[in-house]
Amino acid sequence: MGEGTLSGDKCGRWAALVVALSLLAAPAAQAEGPIVIGASASLTGALAVDAAYHLHGLELGIAEANAHGGWLGRQLELKYYDDKSDPGTAVRLYTRLITEDKVDLTIGPYSSGVTQAVAPLANKYQRLLIDPGASLPDIFVEGNLWNIQGIATSTGYLEGMLPLAQSHGAHNVAILALQSAYSLACGKARQAQAEKLGMPVVYNTTYALPQPDFSSIALAVKNANPDVVVACSYYPDAVGLAQALQRVGFAPKFLAETIGPAEAQFTSALGPIANRIISNTTWWASLKTPGNAEFIAAYKAKYHEDPDYHAAATYSAIEVLGAAVAATKSLDQTKLRDWLMEHPVETVQGTFKAGPYGIGTQFKQYMFQIQDGGRKLVWPVALAEGQPQIPYLGH
Amino acid sequence: MLLLQLVINGILLGGMYLLLAQGLNLVFGVMGVVNLAHGAIITLAGLFTFWFATTTHQNPLLLLPVVFAVMLAVGVVLQRVLIEPVVSAGRRAELLSLMVTFGLSYVLVESGLNLFGSQYVSLPDLQTTWSIGGLAINEALVASGVLGAAISGVLHIWLRRTASGKALMATSQNQIGALSCGIDVRRMRAIAFAIGAALAAASGVLLILVIPLAAPTADTLTILAFVIVALGGLGDYQGAALAALLLGLVQSFVGYYLGGDAEYVVPYLLLIVFMILRPQGLGKAGRPIWSDKR
Amino acid sequence: MSLEERHIDTVFQPPLAAAQENATARRRRALATTATAIVVALALAAPLFTSGYLLQLATDVLTSIALAYSWNLISGYTGYLSFGQVAFFGIGAYATAVLVVHTPIPWYVAIVLAALLSVICATALGTVMLRLRGIMFALGMLGLARILGVLAQNIPFIGGAVGLTLPAQLTPIPVYLAMAAATLVGFGLNLFFSRSQWGLAAMGVRDDEGAAAALGVPTVRVKVVSFVLSALVPAAVGGIVAWNRSFLDPPSAFDPTLDLQVVVFTLFGGIGTLWGPALGGLVLMLVGEELWAYVPDLQLALYGLLVIAVVLTFPGGIVGVANRFGWLRRRPILAPAAFPAAERPAASTRTAAGSDAVLEVRDLTVRFGGVVALDRISLTVRRGETVSIIGANGAGKTTLFNAITGFVPPTEGAVLFEGAALAPISAFERARLGIARTFQIPRLMDSMTVWENVLLAAGNGRRAAHAVDQAAWALATVGLEAMWLEPAESLTPGRQRRLELARALALDPTLILLDEVMAGMTRDEQEEIRAVLRRLKEFGIAAVAGVEHVIAAIADLSDRMIVLDQGRKIAEGPPEAVLRDPAVIHSYLGELQ
Repeated sequence: MGEGTLSGDKCGRWAALVVALSLLAAPAAQAEGPIVIGASASLTGALAVDAAYHLHGLELGIAEANAHGGWLGRQLELKYYDDKSDPGTAVRLYTRLITEDKVDLTIGPYSSGVTQAVAPLANKYQRLLIDPGASLPDIFVEGNLWNIQGIATSTGYLEGMLPLAQSHGAHNVAILALQSAYSLACGKARQAQAEKLGMPVVYNTTYALPQPDFSSIALAVKNANPDVVVACSYYPDAVGLAQALQRVGFAPKFLAETIGPAEAQFTSALGPIANRIISNTTWWASLKTPGNAEFIAAYKAKYHEDPDYHAAATYSAIEVLGAAVAATKSLDQTKLRDWLMEHPVETVQGTFKAGPYGIGTQFKQYMFQIQDGGRKLVWPVALAEGQPQIPYLGH
Repeated sequence: MLLLQLVINGILLGGMYLLLAQGLNLVFGVMGVVNLAHGAIITLAGLFTFWFATTTHQNPLLLLPVVFAVMLAVGVVLQRVLIEPVVSAGRRAELLSLMVTFGLSYVLVESGLNLFGSQYVSLPDLQTTWSIGGLAINEALVASGVLGAAISGVLHIWLRRTASGKALMATSQNQIGALSCGIDVRRMRAIAFAIGAALAAASGVLLILVIPLAAPTADTLTILAFVIVALGGLGDYQGAALAALLLGLVQSFVGYYLGGDAEYVVPYLLLIVFMILRPQGLGKAGRPIWSDKR
Repeated sequence: MSLEERHIDTVFQPPLAAAQENATARRRRALATTATAIVVALALAAPLFTSGYLLQLATDVLTSIALAYSWNLISGYTGYLSFGQVAFFGIGAYATAVLVVHTPIPWYVAIVLAALLSVICATALGTVMLRLRGIMFALGMLGLARILGVLAQNIPFIGGAVGLTLPAQLTPIPVYLAMAAATLVGFGLNLFFSRSQWGLAAMGVRDDEGAAAALGVPTVRVKVVSFVLSALVPAAVGGIVAWNRSFLDPPSAFDPTLDLQVVVFTLFGGIGTLWGPALGGLVLMLVGEELWAYVPDLQLALYGLLVIAVVLTFPGGIVGVANRFGWLRRRPILAPAAFPAAERPAASTRTAAGSDAVLEVRDLTVRFGGVVALDRISLTVRRGETVSIIGANGAGKTTLFNAITGFVPPTEGAVLFEGAALAPISAFERARLGIARTFQIPRLMDSMTVWENVLLAAGNGRRAAHAVDQAAWALATVGLEAMWLEPAESLTPGRQRRLELARALALDPTLILLDEVMAGMTRDEQEEIRAVLRRLKEFGIAAVAGVEHVIAAIADLSDRMIVLDQGRKIAEGPPEAVLRDPAVIHSYLGELQ
């Protein structure tokens, strides 16, 4: 309620009501204003570092779209709040974006965990939600109608590792998975793949964080003596496991870890142990995807650092939304969703094509290896920047 | 051979636990205060060491005496400003001291987050692993274990053999008695807290070489330290050594045979089981937790 | 003021001595209560007419307040600080989610069932965990919450680490109403604790658990029931949150920052008070929501600073500050408008047993490790008799009293009360049987008035009206009726002793054990105690007085005198004879001369 309605006379009050109703009834009246895209961002809290890339990618995507004249002749505007890396806060903020700020379009938050809490809101309010921060497959299952995954699914993480190792004569594998939704999905997928490829899984375990001691797990791995060790990890356990393997004096032929090796300080934390560790990514700077070179250049110009795959994912989400808006010439949630469920879109992280229930399994996965302090794309072979260095040395 | 390696791993892990527990033990023994900011001090010292080593490219162990000395001074100030007013608050001293150190832990952890970020960091120094007759022994773990044992030994000798140490022990056993013997109890508390905090900081400098640390690890370290102190018997320095070894060994074997999830709950389970079945702890000198509030 | 002299206010403030209310004041208070109720009802209804966001914010505020109210029961009123009450939030959330996902039960019914399940779990867990005290309990609970978190990760049926997705339905208004109901239940429980004899018993456990047991408070039952009650609402809240979010996984179900918030809110508002949790939650959630926007990085650090500042400056929180101005103060429990008529309640609950010997101690030995504190002591006390036990410090008087009252287990030998062995009976039951005691150093409940200290003892197993009569009589007997609404700790040492005597009398005892009842008193104060001791005979209550120094003051009142020396009985008989005994003079009195 505005000040005017409190102090004004009856006539003024009626006028205000009429104006309010006409605003509601005629969206055309707003056409002059910008299209508002809402999201929450983990500016603070445990996820703040990776979430910064998430936000930068969004900002950059919107700036680029505006530089090209916006959508439907309107400029774009990003409206975001800090969710403190907390799922509960994120739920409240998305409720605010949808019910109070009435934003036109919404993009999901960073991390699978926070997205899991927010995703049901999309279904409740029947709002299209592109989720570029959630690699977890479990959100995009039967019953989900309004969430579309904007990044590759974690079941595909390291999917090239076992075929690659097998082609280099590896016979068996140990699979370690952190107790979290994304990593368990990854672990299960690799186990199924190993069975399919006829590679015995000689050791398989899960563990919880925070865990200061990985020596027993490492010893169990050493005892099983696998050719390949696949760890579906976060950063601290990726470091801890590599350290622990070295401490029990075991170096498998291939050591692959999911999240961790991509972080800049991974190599400084581990020193020579980090060398030749293999990891996966959903985006790489050398990819010849449309607009990738421009994306990298613009990112460097704006933020004075290299982008990473988080930034590529949110940047792509804006590309995807833009394509849908352009094709449907509308901001209607149902029309946008229906179009996106049917049509592919080219983005910097490759071709977007929604799978069943919006899952993003169609995105390509890549693997890189830490080679003498640098990182080189080694899989798929057709795009590789260099040969994988074999074996992992462990020192 | 496998069993031997598991035992060695357990002992080394126990040494690291001992290192991070003794500061907490000293503060509890003398003041009856469980310093919930203990883990935060360890973590901050570790993060600072990381920052120092990566920006100056110096050997992180150079920091050990510096950090110890600085934390002694900081510890005295913290004790005088925050802890002393509440430990002299009579019947509610325990509640208030828990609250104050609880608050302090959040201040420190969040400062750490803002200064050093939320990322886990670790340093690759002392990472040589010796192979002796098929057994793998890691340098950093040995260093932390040796230091943990050394600190326990020095504490033990200081508290039992020297005049100042005996005065501290007397304070821990009977404050009024110590007062009547002419011991400055307030000064003793300041000394105990300062040394406790300095020990925590020193263990942080070493811990960054052993495990990845980040601001959010603080709570876990406080709990681990507390579990060891409680298992050993609150305020019992030999008991704590025994408890650290026990925890290290149990985790080593459980982790190997039952996997990572089981290993994770070992400290908490041991804590609850022990508190209920053997409240006075493993050692002899620990005070039973059943004793009345007064 | 220098740092050294800084004084920490008490955390738990006793109700202030209210001027007795006249009819106008009563009417004004009734009006204020009605007005408060209307304001609260309006405030609760207002969010229903706003946007989805404000409704969600209001739901979140109520979530915090409901959890803070529940935590206040066990940690505020009962004094058992817990860092793991989120365990019950998690249990409730999971129970609700599983019921909603796997059965056709509607969500609001599932929430009620979840709360019941939580109560069952809390009964089992409480019985075990509450054997711990202080920091052990606080961190034991934290460990328990972590264990539950890991368990949840490893049970595929409840979703494991992946979590459970509930059917997504938009029901913000029912959710809000359910949360408001949960909050009101939490408030109601706090109201009950701040007004009832049950709450008084809980506060007795908090102030001094041992002394409470000696006053007949069933401490274990009080603790466990308080714990169970504090687990009821969090489970419902957890269920509502799970339903509202349509998603649940172990980190969000057993989130330790939830406990941090609850601790901060309650402490800031005023721990152990009726309005503290609501004020703390409301102020910090709403102010915080705006304030943190400017300093988002510092939110938790500021919470930490706030906790420190509150503890060091006004540990009673907002309500503690308000109390100083006479606002929001707790009213003395069951205190009538004026001091009641102090007739001795006609029907003493004690039926005169056949045996003439009230207390019989047979070959009682107590050893602590290698130290023999009591060595084969035998003695008998008859109905209405006054026996004094003299001995130097360390002779074993206090240990003897502790063994009789069940505070210390005997190593050998037996204690019989009215002909029956006391062996398996716990301290509080012995008090209820009619064995009262006082302590060497008075152990008064420092957050209570004089009246409540006595009512606590009078209330055990009695109906309110009867308890009030009993307490009034006991207070009048020791001559403290004029200061019945003063805080107990503000009394002079002599009056504190008399208050302890009044508490003992309020138990309607057959036997009172008096530990150093006249130590360190002026002549006048001794005379007041002696007057009370004389009246004990009138009431037919046997008394055993342990005395070290002021033997002359007790000798003429004693029917018999027993002398202890280093745990052994060395003399017994009429006072004149005992005091002339050469062995006694040598071992004890000689020392004094």
